[in-house]
Amino acid sequence: MDELWDYDKAHALVKRYNIRSVESVYVKSSDDAVRFAAGGPIALKAISAKALHKSKSGLIMLNLSTKDEINAAYRELDKRAAEFKPYKVLAQRMISGGIEIIIGGNTDQQFGKMILIGLGGIYVETFKDFALRVCPIKEFDAQSMLDQMKSRNIIAPDKKSEHMLKSLLMSAARMFAENEITEFDLNPLILHDGTYDAVDLRVMG
Amino acid sequence: MKSNDYKDLSHIMAPKSVAIIGASSNPDKVGHVILQNYIDAGYSGKIYPVNIKNEGTILGLKAYTSVLDVKKPIDVGVIAVPAMAVPQVMEECGKAGVKGLVVVSGGFLEVGNAQLQEQLVAIARKYSMPTIGPNCLGVMDPRSRIDTLFLPTYKIDRPKIGGVSFAAQSGAVGSAVLDMIGSEGFGIARFLSYGNAADVDEVDILNYLGNDKDTKVIVYYIEGVKRGKEFIEVAKRVTKIKPVVISKGGVTAAGAGAAHSHTASLAGSSQAYDAVFRQFGFTIAKDLKDLINYAKIFDTQPLATGKRIAILTNGGGIGVLATDALYNNGLELASLTKDSEDRLRKLMPATVNIRMPMDLVGDADDKRYTDALSVVGDDPNVDAILAIVLFQTPGADSRLASSLVSFAAKMKKPMVGLSVGGSYTHAHRQMMENAGMPVYESPDDAAGSLAALINYSRYRKGIA
Repeated sequence: MDELWDYDKAHALVKRYNIRSVESVYVKSSDDAVRFAAGGPIALKAISAKALHKSKSGLIMLNLSTKDEINAAYRELDKRAAEFKPYKVLAQRMISGGIEIIIGGNTDQQFGKMILIGLGGIYVETFKDFALRVCPIKEFDAQSMLDQMKSRNIIAPDKKSEHMLKSLLMSAARMFAENEITEFDLNPLILHDGTYDAVDLRVMG
Repeated sequence: MKSNDYKDLSHIMAPKSVAIIGASSNPDKVGHVILQNYIDAGYSGKIYPVNIKNEGTILGLKAYTSVLDVKKPIDVGVIAVPAMAVPQVMEECGKAGVKGLVVVSGGFLEVGNAQLQEQLVAIARKYSMPTIGPNCLGVMDPRSRIDTLFLPTYKIDRPKIGGVSFAAQSGAVGSAVLDMIGSEGFGIARFLSYGNAADVDEVDILNYLGNDKDTKVIVYYIEGVKRGKEFIEVAKRVTKIKPVVISKGGVTAAGAGAAHSHTASLAGSSQAYDAVFRQFGFTIAKDLKDLINYAKIFDTQPLATGKRIAILTNGGGIGVLATDALYNNGLELASLTKDSEDRLRKLMPATVNIRMPMDLVGDADDKRYTDALSVVGDDPNVDAILAIVLFQTPGADSRLASSLVSFAAKMKKPMVGLSVGGSYTHAHRQMMENAGMPVYESPDDAAGSLAALINYSRYRKGIA
């Protein structure tokens, strides 16, 4: 039976394929989180195998900067996560602005492992603007995936960002093909300041 | 995987001898229609009618009680007997050394009779007899003149000999499209309706048509594949050699309830098929009309160097509609070189505006079209030509139609026509298509077909 990978394990996996993700640590206390934040905005997430959709279960607290904000959020998260015990609390740096996309993998019954890129954010289900290919993919495939998307000029407005996304797609496809995993989501993955960071990692296998 | 890992269908498509099992002198029986069709088509090999209730002769041919009584080599057995009798008949074919089978009989997995179908597959494999069907229309090949279709020839047009092969899981779609092709300008190489795909499946057929020298274009209607990975392997090889136009029916809903991730909920089964088709060089047809539209451009036109299209027209409005259709299909208008513009200015009357889409105006005749084409066809900024002719105008007649086809035949770039209208137009469209130039009935059909050709050309270049 497929299981959701622990965040640390998932994080180590994407790192091995040089896929960037936001700086994150597990924290044991509110004080830990305050030290990690060091004044900058962070997010706190309760991670539990029993809660597959963190945002739907209210297990994500965003934009926390001051000591008071972090302490209050930590207490609230503890309360909300009580029904999902055991859980751990993850502190993550926040990225401001940028464009949300999704990169993911799914195992099709007929054709095997497939890689996906889509426009992310709150409109993902409405626009369903995504492209899908069978792994492994070549540069030609990565290019045609981008070309297929309606939001192509939003997510890859210039040669540099196009190149970045193509190599990211190829790395993600390689990661998927070479490991014993059945599904994964890098969602959201935020394109910002000429680079990108995966914010949430979900790996099943 | 090597190509000899797939079933060889050449005996089935070009047999020297055929046994029709279930042949009957009763015109209401499927076996009667099949035998009659073999005779009508002028099949030149040996025909052995087989019927358990031996009637002596059927349609003038000596009949046999069993294939075992024939005692001569039999390349293919066409089986049209009740489902329950199929296993025994197949066993007899195996013992008689029959090389391949077409089982048109229904009553297997499609009505829930999985066990009978498994039995069929086991016998086919035991005797290494590639078996098409069951529950299918079977095969037709205008070259070898075989025709297992149990549809009387007066009810369905049979296409002429050509380079388009058409395979369809569904007999209904198969016969309807075949009927449509019958009144088109292009001909067919092979036709296969393979029904339940119990033994010979989508992968075997794609592999066979890919290797088949008479097949220039493959047109495929499928409802699904059972060997996904092998399908991809074969497709990779075949789409590098020839275009495959594909349409898939039976779109299933994504298993959204069971999905864990966003990716899994977006990437349902029909999206996966769509992705496979795009990735491995198929040309996706949205509907049956597109199957035909794309087949004829691939059959007659060379690959394109790019997506810049020159439009020539004798009606301004339709030129505008066609321009819209180009851009809606991801193509663009060509902009002519300065040199071409200068040459055209000398050749054209003052009423003609030298810019794309180029309106040769209502009094354009074959001379004006030929002059314009001779410049536009040579222009390095033009990848393909869309020639619009409104036959309602005084200058447009059969002379123009024949000038266009002879120009298209000489040109190295793709060229298609677009003519909108009634019976006079229809007659000319058909005349041009019979001479090898596709002429479409609507701007979107023309632009969509050009886009299909151009996208495939790009795929061929990208993986070369």
